[in-house]
Amino acid sequence: MLRIVAALIIALSWIPAAGAVSETSAGTVAVGSPEGQAREVVEKTISEVLGVLRNPELSHEQRLSAIETIVIGHFDLYTMSRYVLARNWKRFSKEQQDEYVSSFRQYLSNNYGGRISRYDQFGVDVTGSRSESNGHVTVRTVVVGGEFAGAELDYRLQPKEGTWKVIDVKIEGISMVSNFRDQFKEVIGSGGPELLLQKLQEKNAAPASFDD
Amino acid sequence: MTEGRESMMRVAAAVAAISCVLGASPVSAETPNDPWEKFNRSIFRFNEGADRWVVGPVAKGWDFIFPDPVENALDRFFENIRFPIRLVNDLLQAKPLAAAEDTGRFLINTTVGVAGFFDPAKHWGLEGHREDFGQTLGVWGVPPGPYLVLPILGPSSPRHVVGRVADSAAAVYPYFAFFWVSAAVTGTELINYRSLIDDDLTAEREAALDFYVFQRNAYTQYRENQVRDREEDESDSSDDLYRFDDGQ
Repeated sequence: MLRIVAALIIALSWIPAAGAVSETSAGTVAVGSPEGQAREVVEKTISEVLGVLRNPELSHEQRLSAIETIVIGHFDLYTMSRYVLARNWKRFSKEQQDEYVSSFRQYLSNNYGGRISRYDQFGVDVTGSRSESNGHVTVRTVVVGGEFAGAELDYRLQPKEGTWKVIDVKIEGISMVSNFRDQFKEVIGSGGPELLLQKLQEKNAAPASFDD
Repeated sequence: MTEGRESMMRVAAAVAAISCVLGASPVSAETPNDPWEKFNRSIFRFNEGADRWVVGPVAKGWDFIFPDPVENALDRFFENIRFPIRLVNDLLQAKPLAAAEDTGRFLINTTVGVAGFFDPAKHWGLEGHREDFGQTLGVWGVPPGPYLVLPILGPSSPRHVVGRVADSAAAVYPYFAFFWVSAAVTGTELINYRSLIDDDLTAEREAALDFYVFQRNAYTQYRENQVRDREEDESDSSDDLYRFDDGQ
């Protein structure tokens, strides 16, 4: 169980963001094919964040905000947030939906953004990709070096406006979307959309005190 | 020897019984199979208390005494002595290549790696395979059954419990060591591992909206993934996951 927790934490810490892209990605995927495009997006995200982490000029706060910008650019957080709520999305009014999306983003940033500094010595290799039946593409990566060497991270991407956006991250098979969906479902089940919004707000007001 | 056979037979009987009971309860990560939630939550609360007052503090003390490299070496040592379990399950899952790799790792790490404290085999391209009997049962088509929280050991399932019992029969050292040695090994492993992940566990506990649900979901997905070995497609559950209407 503890291994699982450790594993999930890496996923949620946007670790990929912290690694080096290997030139030797496995498999032969044509450049410009859906899988090739999706891989490019993942590799670009990884190298951008790597650049930020390895830049000695930046302060901790500058790094966090730079990485947040990169993540927002390559992730479709709105769609991800909607997948997390699934059919409960319809129980939220338009205002509640907007509030939820921005609170959830803040929540992710507060709780997981601060941990990235631990991962700057890691590398991430793209090891393969797969086209899913619903038009998504999964890009598979593995962590190289550091205490989480060998951890498997899968990115799920969806086409949007001519490019590909990440809509889920799986670490060791544990999907973020699925995990948050179960947690949020529980909260909404007991107190409706209001309780979820309230709980997110409380968490955001007292962010986890983790940074080393 | 007789003891070993008897325990294997008990395991076989238990597997048969559990397969019958669970046969009709397919599980997917998206629909938590947790009919024992009330009981599970009470054990979960006990575990959280034990972690807060006993396991966590002991692990912190452990962490204070031993530097991380020592803890990591111990972690590798425990991994190495579990070789017989992995070998048996590689074979039961008809994975001869994995069996060969695990054997090679054990031989190299036990000798060159100084009794398993180091992992030179990995640098030579030999990756380990974390197979256990719970996964073997999964590969054979036995469903995991309802989510189950065990005291101290945490998240589990009936299939996983049966697997643990069977695996303990395949572990070699308990046959020639006293009971307290196995107990000490298990305890040390737990504390050592707990200390390695202390920061992450604390942060995750603070972040989760419902830590019980977080654990349940993470455990269920993780075990499913282990059984599948990440290779096969994710069947129908993933289609349900990426739909705005939940697929229900």
